[in-house]
Amino acid sequence: MFSSIEDYLGQLRKELSGSDRATVQDALSDAEEYLRTAVSSAPSGAGVTQAEALASVVEKYGTPAEIAAAYRQVESRTLPALAPAERGDPSAVPAPQPSALPDKRPFYARFFGVFAEPRAWGSLFYLLFTLATGIIYFTWAVTGLSVSLSFLVLIIGLPLAGLFLLSVKGIALVEGCLVEALLGGRMPRRQRFSEKKATLWQHFKSLVTDEHVWFSIIYMLLQMPLGIIYFTVFITLASVSLGIIFWPIVAVALGEPLIMTSTRQYFATGWLIPIAVVVGALLLTATMHLAKATGKAHGALAKTLLVRP
Amino acid sequence: MVEVVEAVKKFQREINGGTAALLLLGVLDHAPSPMYGYQIAKLIEAQSKNVDIMKQGAFYPVLRSLESAGLLESQVAPSVSSPPRRYYKITAPGRETLARWREIWDQTRDLVDAVLKGGDHVQ
Repeated sequence: MFSSIEDYLGQLRKELSGSDRATVQDALSDAEEYLRTAVSSAPSGAGVTQAEALASVVEKYGTPAEIAAAYRQVESRTLPALAPAERGDPSAVPAPQPSALPDKRPFYARFFGVFAEPRAWGSLFYLLFTLATGIIYFTWAVTGLSVSLSFLVLIIGLPLAGLFLLSVKGIALVEGCLVEALLGGRMPRRQRFSEKKATLWQHFKSLVTDEHVWFSIIYMLLQMPLGIIYFTVFITLASVSLGIIFWPIVAVALGEPLIMTSTRQYFATGWLIPIAVVVGALLLTATMHLAKATGKAHGALAKTLLVRP
Repeated sequence: MVEVVEAVKKFQREINGGTAALLLLGVLDHAPSPMYGYQIAKLIEAQSKNVDIMKQGAFYPVLRSLESAGLLESQVAPSVSSPPRRYYKITAPGRETLARWREIWDQTRDLVDAVLKGGDHVQ
């Protein structure tokens, strides 16, 4: 019936055509997880071919048509038990749907609530961290590309290029996990299945022709300039707002001048402190919002370049 | 005859729509550590005594939708031999919901059993 797991996944993809892209990715990665685990734990040898083992696994898992129907059903409606509670029935427990619910908090709570959002802190951390990863990615991509290209005139260029492209795939996977953990936004991405029987040359060919790998290289190159911009902007904003909040307090407490030029010294008075704290806090909160929004945008970029369409 | 088969299938489908979510929450409620789809499916299979009420692949979309409703949370962890696995675990609202569902399930089961057994008809 199915010669390989890839064959099954191909048919499942066909059955799901027209569904939401994320649903298709979910279904494919779920199926891959199950089939892969089941086939590897199935009793092998003793005249059982891979296709036969797969057939009995699929018997349990469901045919592509059945699975596609199950996902479409869940996609088209929430489970009956999870549907929002009927009106006028106070005893019903409404299922909590944090992501689906519109934010009903008042404006100020939404504005300052950003400090309690793990997503905002995650984004800020990711954006600052991108300076480091960006430099590493950029160096690796440029070195790998130039070394393997220049060695291509010799025969050792081929294995070098292969290893480099393989490492790009690994880095894309790690970066995807990082993006998923810190920026949120699902990264439904799995490593492409490789046939065990394929020769080394076939492996190499599939690596070179995989446009996903080349998009990942573009992403790696982009990370460095982006990382520099993110780092500069957010360190500046954060230190300026913290400075606005705390410097007047320190200056007043120590009797230091607030601003000093070569000819004059400006001293702060007590009434400046509350104003400065409010302005600084507003700027700091706005910075967190900017970090959250930038993180979201970067997540979208990562999804476009790292996720196999 | 075809109509009966169709009706049986439809009934099974509709029942599964609700029980699958209940089963999954129940399994994860007792799980000592987060579990991935295949483990959950095999655990349910082991208890089903060779009666396949639904295909194991059909549990996955239910897991996803329970997660998007906030009743489960999940984490992807890499594994050595296979693609990364998504490990699910139940959340506090999930446990709360399960407790309510269990009450409803008990009431429903008792009612259906009582009615199907019959005997209360007034002559």
